[in-house]
Amino acid sequence: MSWTLYVTLAVPLAAVLLTLVGDWRVARTATLLAGLTALVMAIAIAITVRHGRVLDTAHGWLRVDSLGAVFLLATGLLYGMAAVFSVGYLGVESSSAGFAGFARRYFGLLNLFGWSMLLVPLAADFGTLWVAVELTTIVSALLVAIDRTDAALEASWKYVLIASSGLGIALLSIIVLYATGSHVLGGAYIPRFTRFLTHAHHLSHDAVRLAFLLSLVGFGTKVGFVPMHTWLPDAHSEAPAPVSALLSGSLLSAALYAILRFFQVAVAAGERSFAEHALIVFGAMSLIAASFFVLRQGNFKRLLAYSSIEHMGIIALGIGFGAPLAVAGALLHVITHASAKGLAFFGTGSLLRGYGTKEVDGVSDAGRAMPWTGPMFLAAALALCGLPLSGVFRSEFQIVLGGFAHAQYVGVTLLIVFVNLAFSGIVWHSGRMVLGQRRERGAVAVAVAERSAWMIAGMLGCLFVVVALGVHMPGDLNALLTNAGHRLAVPTP
Amino acid sequence: VPNLPDWAVQVLQVVTILALAPLVSGIIARVEAIIQQRRGPRVLQPYYDIIKLLHKETVLPAPAGPVFRAAPYVSFAGYATVPLLIPALTNFPLPLGYIADFFGVGMILALASFVVSIAAIDSGSPYAQLGSSRLRSFGAFNEPTVIFIAFVLALTTHTDLPYAFGATIRSATVQVVKPSHLLMIAAFFMLLLNETGRIPVENHGSTLEFGQIEEGRVAEHSGPGLAFLRWGSSVKQLLLFTIFMNVLVAPWGLASSGHLGVVLEAIGLLFGKALAVGAAVVVIESSFAKLRLYKIPEFTVASFMFGVLAVVIFLFEPGFGDEHLSVFGATATITTVLVLLLEFGMLRSQDVWEQLRLYALGSVVVAALAFTTAATGHGGGSLYALGAVTIALKALLFPLGIRYVLRRLDAEPRVPSSIGVASGILLAILLCSIAFVVLRPVHIGAEAALPLSALPVAVGGVLVAFLLMVLRPYAPSQLLGFLVLENAVSVASLVIAPGLPLILALLLLFDVLIGVLVFVVLVQYLAVERTAVRTDVLNRLTG
Repeated sequence: MSWTLYVTLAVPLAAVLLTLVGDWRVARTATLLAGLTALVMAIAIAITVRHGRVLDTAHGWLRVDSLGAVFLLATGLLYGMAAVFSVGYLGVESSSAGFAGFARRYFGLLNLFGWSMLLVPLAADFGTLWVAVELTTIVSALLVAIDRTDAALEASWKYVLIASSGLGIALLSIIVLYATGSHVLGGAYIPRFTRFLTHAHHLSHDAVRLAFLLSLVGFGTKVGFVPMHTWLPDAHSEAPAPVSALLSGSLLSAALYAILRFFQVAVAAGERSFAEHALIVFGAMSLIAASFFVLRQGNFKRLLAYSSIEHMGIIALGIGFGAPLAVAGALLHVITHASAKGLAFFGTGSLLRGYGTKEVDGVSDAGRAMPWTGPMFLAAALALCGLPLSGVFRSEFQIVLGGFAHAQYVGVTLLIVFVNLAFSGIVWHSGRMVLGQRRERGAVAVAVAERSAWMIAGMLGCLFVVVALGVHMPGDLNALLTNAGHRLAVPTP
Repeated sequence: VPNLPDWAVQVLQVVTILALAPLVSGIIARVEAIIQQRRGPRVLQPYYDIIKLLHKETVLPAPAGPVFRAAPYVSFAGYATVPLLIPALTNFPLPLGYIADFFGVGMILALASFVVSIAAIDSGSPYAQLGSSRLRSFGAFNEPTVIFIAFVLALTTHTDLPYAFGATIRSATVQVVKPSHLLMIAAFFMLLLNETGRIPVENHGSTLEFGQIEEGRVAEHSGPGLAFLRWGSSVKQLLLFTIFMNVLVAPWGLASSGHLGVVLEAIGLLFGKALAVGAAVVVIESSFAKLRLYKIPEFTVASFMFGVLAVVIFLFEPGFGDEHLSVFGATATITTVLVLLLEFGMLRSQDVWEQLRLYALGSVVVAALAFTTAATGHGGGSLYALGAVTIALKALLFPLGIRYVLRRLDAEPRVPSSIGVASGILLAILLCSIAFVVLRPVHIGAEAALPLSALPVAVGGVLVAFLLMVLRPYAPSQLLGFLVLENAVSVASLVIAPGLPLILALLLLFDVLIGVLVFVVLVQYLAVERTAVRTDVLNRLTG
């Protein structure tokens, strides 16, 4: 089954090459195929490793276990759906000047972005992991700036500067870990995860703590933990909608995955409570700050961006609680959040194409004007608030239950209070957009309608995952999450 | 060969300094002239000048009184006293060696300078008074600098006698390459440039009175008085060189007995050391421009701050990994401190071309560390390749490429700091101190093999790089800030993780390369769409 790893990485790269040589229509088809292949491969890999099997290839440089597969699933899902959605999202503009070049640039970068994010959970050592995460930053910065508007440039500059600086700190964390490993593993070795886990009890406790904190700050900059989150709302709001979806659902969790690898080493070295407390602190700060920002947000893409910060905080809390149920819930939340946030951002893209604005005040009565997008956007908003019937409800419920089981009452209380605060913010704004009556008839009435079936298809794909995970939890996924949670609880090579 | 008694060696010490000083000045002036493509004066010219002036009559300005007439001789007597107190030739204290400590030496030097200032006022000449008032105001931070340098020395040796400092360093060589000691050396070297009237503070030997400080002060003197002032200032220079080398940097090669051969050898070595410092001075004089007058306090403040940082670092320095000196450990610490100092230079610089040059220089230093690491057997031969790639990318491609793009975009080279330079440096010093305080209790677990005091310096470098990005609202400077950050992390990786496989190191560099490309693309977009590379106008997205 190791060939699946090669296919997962080769297909997006092939698509990038095709966009370099071919017409934009070729690029479009290649992107579509690459995205869907990645999704299929992610599912295949997840099924293979669900009971603890490890796929290991390329002389040990590529490796995926159940923990990586969870994040691979989230990326695969969003990459596939973003490819589908992009066909419609860009197709709307196909008659504008200079479109062919723009579309080729867009599809090429999208595939490269997808590729770099698929590489993150497949890396077998800290060095490659860092390289992959940094690649995601660089590529997505260009995607954020692709519209070349003033705001997009500003967002892109902030993003690449802040995120790269953060990753500089992350690199320092790897170096510290390497240094402390060097007296057990010898002067020159490849910093594989497995080697650290095997020899974790020989590592210096100070160094492991320092490395974990540095990684939490460094990679945490990309996760969007408060107070390193300042780039995030800008980049998410200015990027094209499919890119926003990938940024939010997949890039943030990819960076979180990097932190979890450090978490594993910390746990194996006997620093579990330290690492959990650190995660709880950052998670709680993010949750609290973000839910206030959600309340007072007038731009609906920024609103969703702050909601992403909030959800990353929830995941960090879930892992920090430490109960197996909560950890599995947090990992499930990676997938449910990816699907719900993908749906929501796709919705904003569709609304943007329909109404031509990103402001909450500019959109009203979307339920009638855009009979597919409107309801699905509202569904996404409700799902993000964790209403029952959505997968997000299941994952958040597991986290809360797990938190109670481990007597993390303060954390759980914070979680419940601030999730509800964000709930009221999101429901208030999205309700106005979808259900609110049009105030000025005639002014906005110019042909607000669904623009493309591809966009609806992409959204339906995400909606399916959101609802399906809420209604019925597949046994295989449960096995995968349990196994991945076990890897975090009792890290073994 | 006779064995000289102590008093004879002591006399010889004074004579050597007095006799060699003009020669050292002459050689420096000559070499400098040759580097600047001039023929320059003869090497012995300072002696001829002194002899000529001694034969001339003295012309006194009308208001001049006895103070003016006595000043040159008092000043020279001060300079001639100092060689008694410092280890110029011997590593054992001579009979009068203990009559004054480090502060005593400082006070005698200050007195020698002070009487000349008083004489300038006595002369009634505005130029001379301007020179001495400038010297007083710019020199305000020199005394605290000396005090902090003495603190580091005293903390290390528990005494403040120049002889004892040298002895301590000789008994524990590793002391020389501690970060605190290196910073203290940097502070003293800046003080030395300032006190000897060198660039960037003063253009030595310039006749243009706008920038005159030291030269202006003695404008009214003539005849034998001027001869002694000239001689005195070259003696002062050699004294500072001697203290720099024989006390702080390399207190080796001194005579351990009064044996004539050994003493002669020590004289030769002293001459060599003075020329080595002179070479560094010449390089600096030929590659930097003089600071504008009102910028000079920034220079003196910076040297004072380095002194402060040296003391702070001394208090929080982790125990040196291997208490015995190794080439790798020494190079590692020197490199990290150099990279940090270059970052301070970038923090001070208001010119993007200069920042680019400093960055390139920093990259060369990092590459040199890679080569040394490989040559000393840490981390394997692949580090040679890494060093070569580092030079190719970070010392050539990045600086030249960025310069090319900025030239093409016709970007404004001035990148003023958003707060004053002195405040910026103060903040940077604070950040470095924080790095040391925070990392002090951390035990990496590889203490036995690695020079760990380099780690906090490198972390300090990362923090200063952040400061650089924050204080310069210009896209090119922020890009450089990112690159400097990467340099600091590279140094840390070479020092504490030299074994990192080449393939990973190259991947990291490749990532940085792509990152720079993306940065440059964005800078171009900014320049084209926003017609500026300023980033403080990027303030639309909030909340």
